[in-house]
Amino acid sequence: MKKVLCIGVAALVAGLVLHFGPAGFAEEEQEHGGDIIFTKPVKAVLFSHQTHIDQGLECDSCHDDPFEMAAGTAEENGDFTMEALYQGKYCGTCHDGETAFASNTRCAVCHIGVKGYNRLYKLSGEEGEGGHGE
Amino acid sequence: MKKRIEDFAKLENEGADTLPSAERRRFLRLGLTVTGVFAGGTVLSLTSSRPARGALVGGEMLRKDPYKPHYSMVIREDRCIDCQRCMDACVKTNDVPEYGYRTTILERELEVGPGEKQREFMPVLCNHCNRPPCVRVCPTKATYKDEKTGIVMMHYEKCIGCKTCMAACPYNARYFNEEKRAIDKCNFCFDTRLSKGEKLTACAAACPADVRIFGDIADPDSRVYKLVHEPTRVVWVLRPETGAMPNVFYTKG
Repeated sequence: MKKVLCIGVAALVAGLVLHFGPAGFAEEEQEHGGDIIFTKPVKAVLFSHQTHIDQGLECDSCHDDPFEMAAGTAEENGDFTMEALYQGKYCGTCHDGETAFASNTRCAVCHIGVKGYNRLYKLSGEEGEGGHGE
Repeated sequence: MKKRIEDFAKLENEGADTLPSAERRRFLRLGLTVTGVFAGGTVLSLTSSRPARGALVGGEMLRKDPYKPHYSMVIREDRCIDCQRCMDACVKTNDVPEYGYRTTILERELEVGPGEKQREFMPVLCNHCNRPPCVRVCPTKATYKDEKTGIVMMHYEKCIGCKTCMAACPYNARYFNEEKRAIDKCNFCFDTRLSKGEKLTACAAACPADVRIFGDIADPDSRVYKLVHEPTRVVWVLRPETGAMPNVFYTKG
């Protein structure tokens, strides 16, 4: 039983790794964090490490400040809100209208919504895309 | 059915030239100037035009909203993030079964540069039309335009389930409720909220991004009135060519 579970988890991880690789998330680039999907406080926001690396950013541009290395840390803080971004925290450190586009503009660039989330995880949404996840 | 509403998400601005002059005049009478037409007149882009209206009718106010309050919704669509809290709130408030919806969110991609696309979400719901095609076709008068509020409502007990209204609705805003054995639809939460003193619909109250602005468009102090009449703001409605005169307006920013 345990073995089956392990294989299942491994397959899921492999599946996610493969799935999140539209821009060539292949072996040589696996050091960076891939795509981060935030689901709190709203579902869902897509942060692409690749897109930000392509802008010439380094790991220490964002880690450990404003973001801890461990994925999900910001979401647990309770102040991971648009309001905080407007005050220059988290994404708002750069997304202030000068370094990068302001946090209160171009909402759907980062917000992929429930539809985007369901597509990523291949859940059957209202558009009936694909079946249920494995 | 489903296909039809999703077509909204694929519309492009074709300019104002193709618009019949009768249509143009009708919107001028409403105090709105046409700034563009989408997909052969399926979506009309409008902007508020007091000067134009003044020139046309010698300064006399022609616009009159026939209901008091005249409920209306302005959707600031570029702010929508598809979190679907509006949909969840609607389902919970109005006991909407999972096979139907009173409001939903469409998705489209806009071209914002050479090869550059940007996602945009578009909430849709019953437009509570001034001339509702659904009411016109109902053989039993089960669906009607409320004389006081202008809300398009249902007498469930009169509905025979013929679904003619579903076919007539330009906004695909109706579904057959198996439990009620009747057609069901958005009524701006009249029974569940407005009649109990709440000022907003469940969807508007649940929106974290201030996308759905709800209120009385006959009241010049209301946000909906101000948004629609802001001189430089572009406002549009869906499917104006049906002559339904919807009370749900779209804008950006």
